[in-house]
Amino acid sequence: VRAARLTIGAVGLAVLAYGAFLLLDTGWTNIGRTAWWLVGGVVVHDGFLAPATIVVVVIASRLLPEWARGPAAVGLVVLGSLTLLAIPVLGRFGARSDNPSLLDRNYTAGWLAVAGVVVAGVGVAAWWRRRRWAAPADESRGVEPKP
Amino acid sequence: MHERLRDPIPRPESFTSRLRGPELTARIGLWLGIAFGVAFATGLISHVAQQTPGWLTFPSRPVSLYRVTQAVHVTSGTIAVPLLLVKLWSVYPRLFARPDLRRMRSAAVQGLERASIGVLVAAAVFQLVSGLANSAQWYPWHFSFVSTHYAVGWIAVGALVVHIAVKLPVIKTALGAPLEPADTVSADQGDRADGDAGVRPALTRRGLLRGTWLAAGAAALLTAGAAVPALRKVSVFAIRSGGGPQGVPINHTATEVRVVPAATDPDYRLTVVRGATSLSLSRADLEAMPQSSHSLPIACVEGWSASGVWGGVPLRDLLALVDAPDDADVEVVSMQEKSYLKTSTLPANFAHDPLTLLAMTLDGEALSIDHGYPCRLIAPDRPGVLQTKWVGQIEVLS
Repeated sequence: VRAARLTIGAVGLAVLAYGAFLLLDTGWTNIGRTAWWLVGGVVVHDGFLAPATIVVVVIASRLLPEWARGPAAVGLVVLGSLTLLAIPVLGRFGARSDNPSLLDRNYTAGWLAVAGVVVAGVGVAAWWRRRRWAAPADESRGVEPKP
Repeated sequence: MHERLRDPIPRPESFTSRLRGPELTARIGLWLGIAFGVAFATGLISHVAQQTPGWLTFPSRPVSLYRVTQAVHVTSGTIAVPLLLVKLWSVYPRLFARPDLRRMRSAAVQGLERASIGVLVAAAVFQLVSGLANSAQWYPWHFSFVSTHYAVGWIAVGALVVHIAVKLPVIKTALGAPLEPADTVSADQGDRADGDAGVRPALTRRGLLRGTWLAAGAAALLTAGAAVPALRKVSVFAIRSGGGPQGVPINHTATEVRVVPAATDPDYRLTVVRGATSLSLSRADLEAMPQSSHSLPIACVEGWSASGVWGGVPLRDLLALVDAPDDADVEVVSMQEKSYLKTSTLPANFAHDPLTLLAMTLDGEALSIDHGYPCRLIAPDRPGVLQTKWVGQIEVLS
């Protein structure tokens, strides 16, 4: 196992080094411009997106009845990630007036439809769970940091 | 929690969700690793298709190979978004682990490992953000996309392989272990009849995993319609509906690349050059030659594609007029003023392929100006950016 790990690690380092070489080859000006985006992605995720998600979950776990928390958390995973990956089309930032075949959908209506399906799904799942959980539990069982 | 908030920086123990654990992380990581592996492999194919090194021949068959690999490339990156988000959530507390400075050796090892994770996360987020924005033709950055996305792809996969090597024992144990903590009662059971107090969480790890797979599947369905006609109605986030002039979408218009005057000039001539030999052909001359028509896809690096029936002169018939040898590469030059994508080099196996056309019609009608009137290149299994439009010159390279 130790030999396998060392081999895999060496292969990984070689691939990484080749990538670094390719990046160096793009020139220092390009590397400087890239660095902002490399660091920025980590800062935006670790410094904003992740804490914001945790805050949302903590607040939701206090507001929502217990039977609704699980379905709501799944709804957040689905709708949250779909919304993030749709930002480029929702904003239509790349749209061009001379090219109507590009970004040619009503993305806002599409997002509303997706959100509607997710909310309806969460509602049905929560209703189902409420029926299954005959006796409500008394102790708090949140999915995020508890007081 | 209020107690903990007095310490402004949380510790790993501040995060108390029972969902987190290597059993969850390893299962998501496995699929995230597969998604990145697939994106890397198909990315390499796209790189080779666009910049084929001399020692390699990119095949011109099957005609839809690039259409499939590039759709898979963009879709696997799209699927990776929910996987990466949930995976990072599952290990977020580790960000706040503090090295034990009294034990310098272990602190140094930890530091190295965290640096490698930093590289991995930065490269992974960068690839997904830049790839998604690029597929929607949104370029909010100043770096060169093609060379940078390619280089960081190698960095991301290298850092991923290092990460797997470091974590291999943890991964093996976690994948072999049951997913849920031992005292968990299924979320959809009622309270236990025997009164045994297990923990019935609001969400089980299985529930979170299923939600993650659901998000990944939805991400694919909602975007893949740009390449898969059957999904067009479902794919509300697709970058293209699949429509456009003559039923095929456009990437760059004639106005954008400033080619309208040259393309509509009644004195248009196509020049075919080989060394000192040069031929000049009007559109009527081209129409007088034997015509062929083939159903071929336009498949773009952004992941969208559409098929059309193209009609025109087989390129090899034009090359025969100047006695071009079978092993000669060919340079195709557009009349457009904007230099971006003005020329493309057609490797010999594409130039002499019977399906490669200098097309003048699409679905039986004259090409619209945005599709490359008076004539354009259309070759099988070739990235759309290299299917040169508004062709003014074809030169046989020696």
